[in-house]
Amino acid sequence: MTSLRWIGVIAWKDLRAEFRSGGRIAAMISFSVLACFLFSFSLGSLVAGRDVAAGLLWLTVLFASISGAGRTFDAEEEDGAFRHLLLSPVSRHAIFLGKAAANLVPVTLVAAFTLFALTLFFRIAAPGSVALHAAILLPGTIGLAAAGTLFGLISRHSSLGDSLLPALTLPALVPLVFFGATASSRVFLDRPWAEISGPARLLWGIAIGLVAVGALLFRYLTDD
Amino acid sequence: MTLSARDLVCSYGPTRAVDGVDLDVAGDSILAVFGPNGAGKTTLLKALSGERRPDSGRVFADGRAVKGSDPEWRSRVGLVSHRTGLYTKLTVTENLLFFAALHGVTRAAPAVEEALATVGARELGRTRAEALSRGQRQRVALARALLHDPAVLFLDEPFSGLDPSGAAALETMLRARRSPERIVVLVTHDLRRGLRLADRVVVLRRGRKVLDDDRAEWKAETLLGLFTDPGNRA
Repeated sequence: MTSLRWIGVIAWKDLRAEFRSGGRIAAMISFSVLACFLFSFSLGSLVAGRDVAAGLLWLTVLFASISGAGRTFDAEEEDGAFRHLLLSPVSRHAIFLGKAAANLVPVTLVAAFTLFALTLFFRIAAPGSVALHAAILLPGTIGLAAAGTLFGLISRHSSLGDSLLPALTLPALVPLVFFGATASSRVFLDRPWAEISGPARLLWGIAIGLVAVGALLFRYLTDD
Repeated sequence: MTLSARDLVCSYGPTRAVDGVDLDVAGDSILAVFGPNGAGKTTLLKALSGERRPDSGRVFADGRAVKGSDPEWRSRVGLVSHRTGLYTKLTVTENLLFFAALHGVTRAAPAVEEALATVGARELGRTRAEALSRGQRQRVALARALLHDPAVLFLDEPFSGLDPSGAAALETMLRARRSPERIVVLVTHDLRRGLRLADRVVVLRRGRKVLDDDRAEWKAETLLGLFTDPGNRA
């Protein structure tokens, strides 16, 4: 069986279990919508929405992702399934990529809901091209999903548990959020692609780097 | 099929859980590993299966050194532990199909049906794992371990949670699996059942092997005597 098939099998299993329990995705989306509402309530009369939307978008998606990342391995830990997953012939890389692919779905949903909620609550009439937002958010969500999967595993195996997660994740994700917010801000302000492409390329580079580092470290962490 | 260990040492910090253990198990046999709590039974099982890298010493399968990261070796290994390792939100069939896919089992659906029938759990296929009793879960875990017909089946307290009929079915199934191409390694506190099944008995105490015998006439009471340090016996 190819690694790609294994990745698909693991991601599909995770998503099926995730949508049946539903708690994590609902909590992440509720948090993002509530944060957008509170931001609009407190800032709406002070600033123009399109000037602050990018920062709020990335801040909200970042914190929603971190809150969900701590539960990435809940299903594996609940009845000791992780031991059996690791004892299967599947490569560690495929396990990591399968888990990260499953993590990508809730993070992408949160990003989409947050973008929609910000546009709605801040009454941004022309928030920029949806395709351009997607081109910026996609590498961002890939990076967040990969980092969340890796740090979710580390926090699981630390006596500090979930409290360790933000301390590990936030410093590692500063470049991702910085370039993401920069690129998104230019999309909200209707800048030409020439001004957006630079941070967008950097964003893709960071996302690919996070996936690669995550896969390597995952193998190191799970090889006893 | 042969499984051997040479001078295995596994430590947790300063504590040696397995301390210089040698083993030789041939195909067509069931090895039972006994010992008191903390004797190193589960650690030995993890070292033999490749789940845990020993601090020193080697494990060999068919004369070749076992590497836990080797996918070919992992495809030849099955495990039943006291934690059943099922995904609670998935149905029994979904759980088994998932693990069948990971092991590359061809014609997975009939294989799942057959494995469930073997452990007497055919009617549980559509039930979510979270709704199963402890004994039912253990049966399903056993079905999962059999799906890919492993050459070496490791069982860590497999009778835990099984009702008498389930335990009897497990005994029958393990006997039926005997073949020159297969080995069963059983770790259990259930001395009587273990002795009924085993053709080789190993007793560990404080990580060291204090008995390794292939005679079948051992009695549970005699083995219990080996669990205690000679200096501590009254």
